[in-house]
Amino acid sequence: MKDIIRVSVVILAVSAILIFINAKLANTGGASGKNSITVFNWGEYLDPALLKQFEEETGIKVIYETFDSNEAMMTKIEQGGTTYDIAVPSEYAIEKMKESDLLIPIDKAKLPNLKNIDPYFLDLAFDPENKFSIPYFWGTLGIAYNPELLDGQTFESWEDLWDPSLEQEVVLVDSAREVIGMGLNALGYSLNSTNISELEEAADKLRTLQPNIKAIIGDEITQLMVNGEAAVALTWSGQAADMMWDNEDIDYAVPEEGSNLWFDNMVIPRTAKNIDGAHAFINFMLDAEIAAQNADYVGYSTPNLAALDFMDPEVIQDERYYPDEEARNHLEVYKNLGLEMLGTYNELFLGLKMDLQ
Amino acid sequence: MGKLSKLPKLYLAFVFIILYTPIFYLLYYSFNSGGTMSGFESFTFEHYAAVFEDTRLIMILINTIVVALLSALVSTAIGVLGAVTITFIRKKALRNAILSMNNILIVSPDVIIGASFLILFTLVGVKLGFASVLISHIAFSIPIVVIMVLPKLQEMSPSLIDAAIDLGASRRDVLTRVIIPFIKPGIFAGFFLALTYSLDDFAVTFFVTGNGFSTLSVEIYSMARAGVTLTINALSGLIFIVTLLLVFGYYAINRKSKNPFSGVRK
Repeated sequence: MKDIIRVSVVILAVSAILIFINAKLANTGGASGKNSITVFNWGEYLDPALLKQFEEETGIKVIYETFDSNEAMMTKIEQGGTTYDIAVPSEYAIEKMKESDLLIPIDKAKLPNLKNIDPYFLDLAFDPENKFSIPYFWGTLGIAYNPELLDGQTFESWEDLWDPSLEQEVVLVDSAREVIGMGLNALGYSLNSTNISELEEAADKLRTLQPNIKAIIGDEITQLMVNGEAAVALTWSGQAADMMWDNEDIDYAVPEEGSNLWFDNMVIPRTAKNIDGAHAFINFMLDAEIAAQNADYVGYSTPNLAALDFMDPEVIQDERYYPDEEARNHLEVYKNLGLEMLGTYNELFLGLKMDLQ
Repeated sequence: MGKLSKLPKLYLAFVFIILYTPIFYLLYYSFNSGGTMSGFESFTFEHYAAVFEDTRLIMILINTIVVALLSALVSTAIGVLGAVTITFIRKKALRNAILSMNNILIVSPDVIIGASFLILFTLVGVKLGFASVLISHIAFSIPIVVIMVLPKLQEMSPSLIDAAIDLGASRRDVLTRVIIPFIKPGIFAGFFLALTYSLDDFAVTFFVTGNGFSTLSVEIYSMARAGVTLTINALSGLIFIVTLLLVFGYYAINRKSKNPFSGVRK
């Protein structure tokens, strides 16, 4: 009995010491006290040095937590019991959150730095007049390819994927809207199409791609491409950037018929406790130099026009990440098509995958 | 035990290689200066340095350890008392019913336990964070402790207790001086099992973390979108080494205490 008590005391003492260390560590940021905000962001999606800088400049302490999917994030917010002051959902998630009344309108008077954002990225269909959201990063859907493994093919058009020489070389991302959207784009239709005959035509078109398809997979695409095990992949610009970081041979192209334009945006959830602090944080992230430093760390494209002056000119002239006006005109943002339509997309995609076997 | 012949030895080696290869693969790349898990470039300690520079990661690690220690401690205390009570229930039907309810908690999927905790906490108004994680970890560890302690209790001869009472022991003395010393190995086994369950639990924790409080498994999972960095490899390496040291330490202490006088309690 004695040694059990002794062990228990030791465990309690160790726990107390660890909690004490943690409390000390939490206060090293320069800010302390009650004024704090809780930020809920994707993993590895913000330069940690900026959090420290924000704490030093404003005296507001940042509690930072990460999530891995829009759905997980929405569940946490919807259930209550959390007090996130900032969250960073993708555009389709914002529509859903708006419908469920999970967002607080943003007071633009508190965001003087909003002027830095390229007007092209403001006032979009998913959030008219940016009542609830401020763009954080953006990107495109396109084709990553490894010229070393190909004989000179390029990908100006989606049609190029159907080239017979690419037999068993193409990897597709396992996501219904992306793949069906590609079929729609290849035929010149909108990727938000709700016309059943257009959708079926797109599915038939994709069926003819079958001999070229090597696999339909998720995040493993990055590794396959980096290792040179696949030559061509349908993927997002952010993922393509990761691939190029590890394998310089890889290139990325957005076909000219058009493609998807995606956004991640800062919002203030309904459960926020420190709304002033949240605005201060958004305004801080919109600062030109800060946004440039963050874009440099994360490697995605920033919607912050003023930030481009502080960035490596080689990066911002790269048409693959910062396409010019003309190319942008062909890009479309996903619209929320409703559950029923989404079901149709999923069914068509499932049928396509089953035919592959 | 007789000497093992060649074939069982080979088989044993094969099993261990399969079990340990992934861990060593991970450790190997934690020294890679290339920054990815493909293609080893040159040897470096920079990822280990990065672990200690990242205060947030360290805080999450400490959170994970504190939750594991406290939840294991509390669940062991509750679980031991529960096991003792179950053993001394006279009605067989009631005893079996309670035991089955205990076992159901062990086999029911973590996802369900996690989701129901999330709903419960929101309903009651508990803020997600340290408390919610600790409470749920205690809850799912208790049945494990009960299962670890029960066999030891059943092994104990009832005449031991009768003898103690005959010799004038109070009920308290029976518990603290007879029962608990006898089942001590079971208690420690239960504690360590609860500790490991808490350390590596993802599913339940995933539902009940929030407000900036996170544990290592949840944190690593949320890195999936942008890719897990080699810092995590380095951290896993450190944890692996610490675990190894703990196991060796435990083994050494165990051997030392096997001297002829260890059975005598003062």
